[in-house]
Order: sequence, then structure tokens, then C-alpha cells
Amino acid sequence: MASLKRWVLVGLTACAVLALAYLPPRGVKSSDKSVFVGQSPQGTRTRQHAQALAEEWRNADAAVRLLEDRQQVKRDFVRASPTIVFRGATLPPHSVRNIETVMDSVWRGLGLGETKVRVTLVVALQQPSGPADSPTPLQDRVAYLTPDSTDRTTCIASLPAGPYWTLVIQGKRDARHEGFGRFAQWLQAGLGPCAFYAAYGTPGRPVQGWLAARNWDVGLYLGSHGIAGERFSSLDLLGNPRFSGFWDAVYALPPATVACLAGRWSGCSAAVLAGAADEATIPIPNVILVERRWWRVQRLLPGERYLGDVARTVGRDGFQSFWSSGQPVDTALALALKRPVGEWTADWERAFVRPIRLGPTPPLGGMAIALAIAVLALAIVAGTASRRQVR
Amino acid sequence: MSRLLGALLTASFLASPLQSQDSVIARLRRQADSLLSAWRDAQRLAALADSLEQVRATAGSDTIAVGGLRIIVNPSPLPLREAAERAWPVIDSLYGSAAEDLPRYPYIFRAVDPDSSVRRTVLHVGVEVPWDLDVRATTSLLLTTVTPPSLDAALADWLGSALRPTLRPHDEGAAVFIQLVTAPSEAVRRCFLGDIARCKDVLQIGDSTGLLARWYVTPAEREALVTGSFTDYFARGATAPTLQNCRQHRDDACIALLQLLPPGSLPRPLGQAARLVLVREALRAGGRDAYRRLVASPNAAIEARLSSAAGTDIDSLVARWRNDVLAARPRPLSLPWWAGFAAIGWTALLGFCALRSSRWRL
Repeated sequence: MASLKRWVLVGLTACAVLALAYLPPRGVKSSDKSVFVGQSPQGTRTRQHAQALAEEWRNADAAVRLLEDRQQVKRDFVRASPTIVFRGATLPPHSVRNIETVMDSVWRGLGLGETKVRVTLVVALQQPSGPADSPTPLQDRVAYLTPDSTDRTTCIASLPAGPYWTLVIQGKRDARHEGFGRFAQWLQAGLGPCAFYAAYGTPGRPVQGWLAARNWDVGLYLGSHGIAGERFSSLDLLGNPRFSGFWDAVYALPPATVACLAGRWSGCSAAVLAGAADEATIPIPNVILVERRWWRVQRLLPGERYLGDVARTVGRDGFQSFWSSGQPVDTALALALKRPVGEWTADWERAFVRPIRLGPTPPLGGMAIALAIAVLALAIVAGTASRRQVR
Repeated sequence: MSRLLGALLTASFLASPLQSQDSVIARLRRQADSLLSAWRDAQRLAALADSLEQVRATAGSDTIAVGGLRIIVNPSPLPLREAAERAWPVIDSLYGSAAEDLPRYPYIFRAVDPDSSVRRTVLHVGVEVPWDLDVRATTSLLLTTVTPPSLDAALADWLGSALRPTLRPHDEGAAVFIQLVTAPSEAVRRCFLGDIARCKDVLQIGDSTGLLARWYVTPAEREALVTGSFTDYFARGATAPTLQNCRQHRDDACIALLQLLPPGSLPRPLGQAARLVLVREALRAGGRDAYRRLVASPNAAIEARLSSAAGTDIDSLVARWRNDVLAARPRPLSLPWWAGFAAIGWTALLGFCALRSSRWRL
């Protein structure tokens, strides 16, 4: 016992020496000092108002251009695939032929030939900024003009080429090294809703209203490889689940979208059928403007290919019956899928991502320790109780 | 008569969709014109409001002038004058005669209390700065936010950043030295050994075609690049088999994959510090007007611009850059003479204690 006391004394003395050596005899600053975050400058109210007007003008101007294109563009009846028109520069005939060849192969890849609804693709080449007396025209979003009562057989897609594809199209950048496959993917993705119109005609009123209410987020891409090739879908933008950024991105999504990622049927059903109950009015002309960062406003991931995958699963006739159905969307979709919408969608989601785990997820080791402590506490209590003697 | 009437009615019926489309276009065009007119008015008002806001934001502020620097800031304990006195010589030595243009780009700061939880007013003009910065941090702020006079996009793209002064140029050189001796690229190694043509390649000066073959010379480098940096990118879809081939040391597969990369995403063997050091060297060699010559022809090739700025041919400039980088070799870690003894002593002491210990007895 005397030996133990000595060692305890030595230990305490050592601690005191260490404390004297390492702890300064003054107050220290907190290590978790808050980081100063400065504000980003904002435009004045009048500047914001001007920007909002510019945005409205861009949309109106895009609609006018699409309507004018629909009136003016002469169809190329020799080719079955979309007519391509270039705006912003005149291209040499061989460049146009090359691009038409790529489009022909894209069209065949989608399984399309002669279609009742013809597609015209207007490729807007990047131009130097114009005069300062008007806002820059729409250059960062794809715009579509769908068939309506004034022209039931033409769907127009206006695709801004941006600086990179402008250089490639004009032959100023060597496309050989960049791969013409990516150019084909870009063209295919640019067809957007027009590809559905070409393949299946004008949708029935419920489907049209449903898609309009959600700005076509589930019908942006008819192809089977992912909107930017095999390597890209909106799911990839969530990042890696091992990092916290993934969960920040997940919880920024609507609740139904998150539930669907977790494999819950009800969540998938809600995510797919959002907007189906709305009484959306279809404007004439029906101009669809796809957000530049369309993946940020999706209610289903990777929603851009959802209808394309449905079409491939149920076959042409099945999808056609859904597409042109006059029944409510949930009924028509369930009939086409021959399964409840939520159940099918949850399976579809699982093909892209392993269901995420929602709620607390304690590590296995932590659970084992907690259980062991609980068992120990119970054993001690039981042992104490069994030895208790009443005098 | 009735036939004529019928024909007229039929024609008008058939033409009605086109007419309605015309009217829609006309309506939308009117709407766009009206919006454009409203936008022009709003722009004029916004320009006025912006200038008024600038006056309002800087009202009651102090203007500090040191050399060509103009700093507009609200009264605060920030040591801006001292910081400007330190920053100005560094800025002036980089931009030379072009630094005379800097009064056109004044700094506008709003110094704020970093510890206050009071909601700050919305910022429309300038930059918010906490007012507890010391002289060093404030100097650094001035150096890192100075507006490089007339810097064009082509030069900024090539550099990978804006060209700004630094308080520690030696550190930049040392960082480039480390890159030179550690970058997994044969081209960089040859540059380190004195091959000026390879130095130009890795600095991306001159011919920009076939960069893959010139930056990553050997098959091993290309394979390491694919497997080290782009495995996730190529592991799915149509490129997955090619990735497997690349992993099995098939150089043609690795090249095919690397050629599929989006433009500009092939990693440069040397970081942006290398190009910054090169430009700094050109400016140092070219005298006070060097910066003006560098930014005089934004459409010229980088090689020609650097030569013009330095007043010498590009090979000599690159050779000087290489010598500078080699001279900036970081000092090896040196221990004091007693450190070895201290380490041995501690080891012996702990070993002795371990050997002397006995089982605990309670």
C-alpha cells in the first residue's frame, strides 16, 4: 500500500510539472475563433429591377425568334433527321454536311426515322457581345417551341453553342482530339422534349399539363446513355457519399426526392407525380426554357432520363398509350408500367444508386459498446440485488 | 356567287392558323420591344443609382493615398496607411510604369466590427473587411486585391490566375523547385536537367498541339495519369474496357482515353506558380516598362509577349527562369547540434525506465 501511495505521488508530481511546462500562466485565446465572412456586393434595387427586365426581355425575344424560325426555316425533306440551322455565322457547306451526318447518326441511334412531328434544331453560335443598347440574348439556356394549333408538325429546339462548341463547329478547334462522340451527345441532349414529340407525337392533355407543371424535368433526354454520355447523370453531381458535401446536396433536395433516393415507394411516387394534379394551362405558343443548371430543380434523380427509361421498359406501344392517354397521369403511367408507379420508380432508382440510409446510423462498434455497458450495468444491479439482506 | 363565297370562306379558314401565328409574333414582338424600352430606362436609372450609391457608400470615408494606391475606407482602427506604405513598393516593382494607372482603380473598403452580432447593412459597393487585421494581414489584403492594370483574358488564362505581387517571391520559386524535382513527368525532369525546349513545353509556351505526347512522354507516365487521376471518370460505360487495357500497360488504350478528356482538363505538369515566376522574371528583366509591353498586344502569342516584355529572346528568358528556380532550392532541414544527443538521451531514459519497471503490486 505504501508503494502505491508513492507511485500516486510521483504521478501527480509529474502531472504538475507537465502542467507548469505546457500551460502558460495567462489566458489563452479560444482556438475556435469564428471566421469572418464578408458580404458579397449586391446590385442596387434599381439594378436588380433592370436585370429582371433584361431576363423578361430575353424570354420574350427567345419566343419571338423561335416563332420566326418556325415560319421561315425551310424543311430539308431529303433527310429524315432534324433540319439544322445555324445562327450567328455562315458555315462552309462541308462543315454543315459533317454536322448533318452526325445528327443523322444520332437520330438513327434514337430509333427514329420519318416522323410526323419534324424537329428543327437552331444552333446559335456564340457571337461577340452586341451593342450595349440591348441585353445579351439568351445564350445559356436551351429553348423549345412545341407544336401547337398554329403548327402541329414542327418542334423547334434552339441550342446555344457556347464558346467551346462554336469553335468546334467553325473548325477552329480540333474536334479529332475532343472526340466527335461528345459532339453527338451534345446534339442528342439538345433535342430535349422535341425528341419525345418526334417519337410519340403531341402528348395527351394530362401528360402535357404534368410535364409543363414541372418544366419537363423528367423528359429532357430520350437517349439511353445518360445526358452527357455514360459518365454523366445528375446523380453524379451529388458527389461521394463518404464526404459531407454529398449529404448537404441530398438534404437540399425536396423531401420526396430524398425519400426516393432512400428507396421508399411513397417518396418515389410523390417525386414522379409532382405536378400531375395541377391544372396547368398550356400557353400558345408553348415555349419551354430549360434552366441552365437544370439538375438543381429536379424532383427526381436522375430525372432527365426517366421518361426515356420508361419508354424503353414498356415498349413503344405501351409508352404511346401512356403518352396520348386522356386518363390522369398516375393511372396512365401505372397502366403502362403494369406496376404501381412508386414501386417501379424505386427499382429504377436502385439501378443508379444504392438506397441511402436516412436517420441516425450509429457505428456497429458503438452499438456493441453501448450494449455491453447496458448488460454490465444490469449484471451489477442484479448481483447487488441478489446479495441484499434484510435485517 | 355562292361558289365564290365558299372559296373565300375556305381560303380564310385555311389561312387562319398562319394569321394567328403572325398575330402572336406581332404581340410578342411588341411585348419584347416594350420590355426593351423599359430595360433601357431601367439601365439609365440603375447607372444613376449605382453612382449615387457609390457616393453614399463612400461619404464620410477617408481617402488614403500612398504612391499610386488610393484607398477609400470608413474610419476604423485598420492600419491601412502603414500597410499601403509596405505594399506600394512591391506593387510598383511589379507593374513598373503601368502602376501609374492604379489611381483609376481605387480600393473601396468597408471596415466592420468582426465581433458584433448587429446585422450589417447590405453591401452594394466595395469589400467588407474586419477591422482587427494587423499590418501584415492588411498588406496582404492590398496585394491580393490590387487590380492588375490592363490584364487581358488570354494572359490570365495562360497564367491560371491574375498577376499580382507577392511579399514572398522566394517561396514561389521554392514551390516551383519542388515541382521540378517531384513532378512525375519526364518532360519536367528534362527541363530540370537543362533542356530548354522541354521547359518551354511544360510552361506551355509556343506550339500548343500534341501536348499529351510532349507533357507525358513515356507510357508509364500516361498510365499513371489515367489510373491516378481519371479512374472514376473512365471506369463506367463505353470506356471501361479501354481503362482495363490501359491498366494492363497498353499504351494505345491510355492515349485513347486521355484524348477523350474534355479540353483543358489534361493536368499541366507544372502548376501555375511556374508560369508566375516566369512572368515575374520577364518583368524584372525588362525594366519599368516591361509590364506595359506585356499587356500591349493581347492577341499576340504568349511567347512573343514574354520576349517583348523581357527584351530578350524566349530561350534566354526560360533559361533565366530555370536558373532562378534552381537558386530558390529550399534549404534542407537542419537540426541544432544538440538535437541528436537529446533524442538519444530520451531514448536511453525511456528504455531504462522500461527495463527497470516491475509488475504493479497493489
